[in-house]
Parts: sequence; structure tokens; C-alpha cells
Amino acid sequence: MILLETENRVLYETLKAKFEASKPESVNAVAVDFDGVQYSISNENGDKGVILVSAKMSVFEDLVKHGVEDVLKREYGNYLVAPQDGFNVTLRFELASLEEDKAELARKASLLKRNCYTSVFEKYFKIQEAEESSKEMAIVHYHEQEAMYIEALPDRVTVIFSTLFKDPDDVVIGKVFLQEFKDARKYYQQAPQVLFSYGEPPSELKGVSDLIKGDNVGYVTFVLFPRHTKADQRENTINLIHQFRTYLHYHIKCSKAYLHCRMRGKTNQFLKVLNRAKPEAMTEKKFAKR
Amino acid sequence: GVILKQWYQRRVAITAGTSVMAATLKPYLNAVRTTLEAAMCLENFYSQRVERHNKPEVEIRSSKEVLFTPLEICRNEKEKVLIEGSINSLRMSIAIKQADDIEKILCHKFMRFMMMRAENFFILRRKPIEGYDISFLITNLHTEQMYKHKLVDFVMEFMTEIDKEISEMKLCLNGRGRISAVEFLKNFN
Repeated sequence: MILLETENRVLYETLKAKFEASKPESVNAVAVDFDGVQYSISNENGDKGVILVSAKMSVFEDLVKHGVEDVLKREYGNYLVAPQDGFNVTLRFELASLEEDKAELARKASLLKRNCYTSVFEKYFKIQEAEESSKEMAIVHYHEQEAMYIEALPDRVTVIFSTLFKDPDDVVIGKVFLQEFKDARKYYQQAPQVLFSYGEPPSELKGVSDLIKGDNVGYVTFVLFPRHTKADQRENTINLIHQFRTYLHYHIKCSKAYLHCRMRGKTNQFLKVLNRAKPEAMTEKKFAKR
Repeated sequence: GVILKQWYQRRVAITAGTSVMAATLKPYLNAVRTTLEAAMCLENFYSQRVERHNKPEVEIRSSKEVLFTPLEICRNEKEKVLIEGSINSLRMSIAIKQADDIEKILCHKFMRFMMMRAENFFILRRKPIEGYDISFLITNLHTEQMYKHKLVDFVMEFMTEIDKEISEMKLCLNGRGRISAVEFLKNFN
């Protein structure tokens, strides 16, 4: 599995099962997603015929000023209700009055996190489409200590990610990976331009407060061109870009796991060679031959 | 006859266009092997300092007369081997080639992985000597239980395999980086 799924699989499968069940079943589940997002799937006041899906995400506050509430209303229509206590978004599904395509509805609900991010990206993509510049940079704290900075210009939208590598080995492996991201444009001209720097934030972020700095901090800039931000490509672009940080760290960790496997294999090989140095192996063979 | 043969072999190697690095590898490994074979003449030796104790003298280093002159065999500044001998034990430390940051962390990870399993390896030391990446401690107990020539074979194979493994791991990492970058970016239209 190279690319990460956009929808939340737990939400999708739970909801699909409950929607398509022959008779209403009770449900009480808790799920998590990347970047500290938490979900809760429950019955309203114990009523098996009504399912509430709630999400709690720290990034929601930053997205409010970029119109997330309007986007959610647009995507979920009447299913969107006032958020439950301790949560940011709540969807309410009455099993008796669901629309025809239940699997599709479950899928749409599982895209809750991504639809929240749609708000800020769409806003800036539209500014670029109108060939204007954004007055203010969007600062989205999508992860603990890490943020996304989005800016629109007449001919492009730049998205700058700041990311923290907690493990010092990750820093070095991250450099290798980010260099490949930068060079990939040679093979695929349609890809956005990727730039990165370590330690210091890029000049575009001059004047922004609370910027993290240090040897284990990386800044990655994506330059999205009109071909990526135009109306029919928006969904695809947002699907890819909003999960970039997760994707990068996921692959770094996968490679560390793979290296570990390799090292274990090689160590076992060395041990086999070393054990050949012992005479007991020779005498055992002699007995076995007889 | 023998000298002529060696001269001829060297001529062939040079005219075959081998790089400087490859040309230094064989003499380097040969020097390490012969030194190791010479140092591996170990015998039991009761401690002169503490009654009824039997310790590896190369580690204790208290009695000068039982210690042999340490020998450092260098292929270049970064790659070298230190062989310290004594009457009942020998210590061999290897400094492994690490050309860049990524090779440094791969080497470090790999050595740490093996040193944590030093018990299984018998002859591996849990900590490397200062200035080196990994150390072996071979005592008379080991040479009594295992074939000497096979122990030497093991250490020599270890040295060549490590370099190969680190290169392969680096290639894998680069490959994975390329695949994940390409998969991600090619999906933009």
C-alpha cells in the first residue's frame, strides 16, 4: 500500500454495516484518524434507529474562519446538526429515512476530516482562479507543533508544511525522501513543484509568529499551478495534499521497519557462519551419516 | 618464479583498470587476516593480580609483560582495524567506511542491533572501543571451543559483508524514497 486512503476505513465500514443492516442495531464505537482526530459513533439517546457520528479535531478552530461550516453544510445538507458536547462536528442519520445509495452515504461520512480541510483549500484555490492574490496567509495547525501555511497568487497557490522529526534518524531519512520529491518533477512534468529546507523557515514565511526552528525541523513547499487548482481537479489535489505530512512520516517509518527486518536477517546469517566454527557440528554430522 | 608470478598478477590488475579503492582492498584484507592469525595464538593465563581469577588480559591491561604491541592497519583515514593482543585474549576493532549521513546512521543502527545481541555472538563486544564502530573480544576459551581458522574466516567475511550490506540498505532507502515520491506526485493531473 503506497498511497494512504483518503476516507476513514473504520467510519466507512461501521456505517455501511449499520445502514445496510436488515434491522436497526445499537452502535457505540470510538475511532481515531491521523493528526489527532477522534470520532465517536453512537445512538442518539439509546434509539437504535438514529446514529450520530461526531468528530473532534484540534484543527477545526483554525478552519472556522475559512468557512468550514459552510462547506460542511454544503456536503452533508440535513445530516449536519449541532455538534455534540466535546466535539466539533456531528452528523445525524435516521435509518428510516436514508437516501438510496447507502454505501455512498457511508463513504461520504467517512470523508469528514477531508471535507473539513476542503474549506481552506477551496477558498485559496478560488482566489487564484480569479487571478488575485490572497490578502492574508492561512495558518492551519493541523498537527501538534506543526502547521500548514497557504497563500494564493494570481498564477499559483503555495502550501508550506512545517514538520518536526522527533527521531534524529528520521531527519536523515527524511532528507533522502524529500530530495526525491524535489527531483520527481523530472519524470512527471504535471506534478507540482516541491522545495524543502531544514532548520530555518523559507523567506515566504518572514514575519509569521510561532515558527518552529531547529535541526530536526523541515519546511516543505508545494507550488500548485492552475492545472491543479482548477475546479475539476480540486478534489483530487485536496485528497493528496491534505495528507502529505502523514504520507511522508508513514513511509519513513515503513522503511525503518524494513531496515530492521534486513538487519535481523543479516545477523542470523552471520550467526550461522559463526556456528560453523564450532566442532560439535562436525561430530553430529558424522553420527548422522552412520 | 613466485616473484615473477606476483609481478605479473599486479600488472594484470593495473592494466585491467581497477580503481584505487579496489586495488587497496585485497592487500588491506590480507594484512588484517595475517595479523589476526598471528594474534590468535592464545593460551590460558591465571590472573597475576587477583588470586584464583582468570580475566582477559587485553581488557584489564594491568600487566605490561603479557600485552602485545597494538597494531593499526589503515586502508585510509576512515577505514581501519586495530588489533590488540595479549597472552590470553585479543581485541579487534573495526572502523567502517561511512561516506555520508545516511551511511552513518545505517552503520550505527546495524552495529547497535548486533551489539545488543552480543551474547549470541560470543566473540562480539557489547561496546566498541573509542574511535571505532564495532569490536570483537576473542579469548582462549573461544579458541579452545572453536576452530581458529574458521574464526578468522568469520571475522574476514564479516568485514566484507558489512560494507556490502550498508550499500544495499542505502540503495533500498533511495529506491523507496523515489517510489513514494513518484507515486504521490504522479497522481496530480
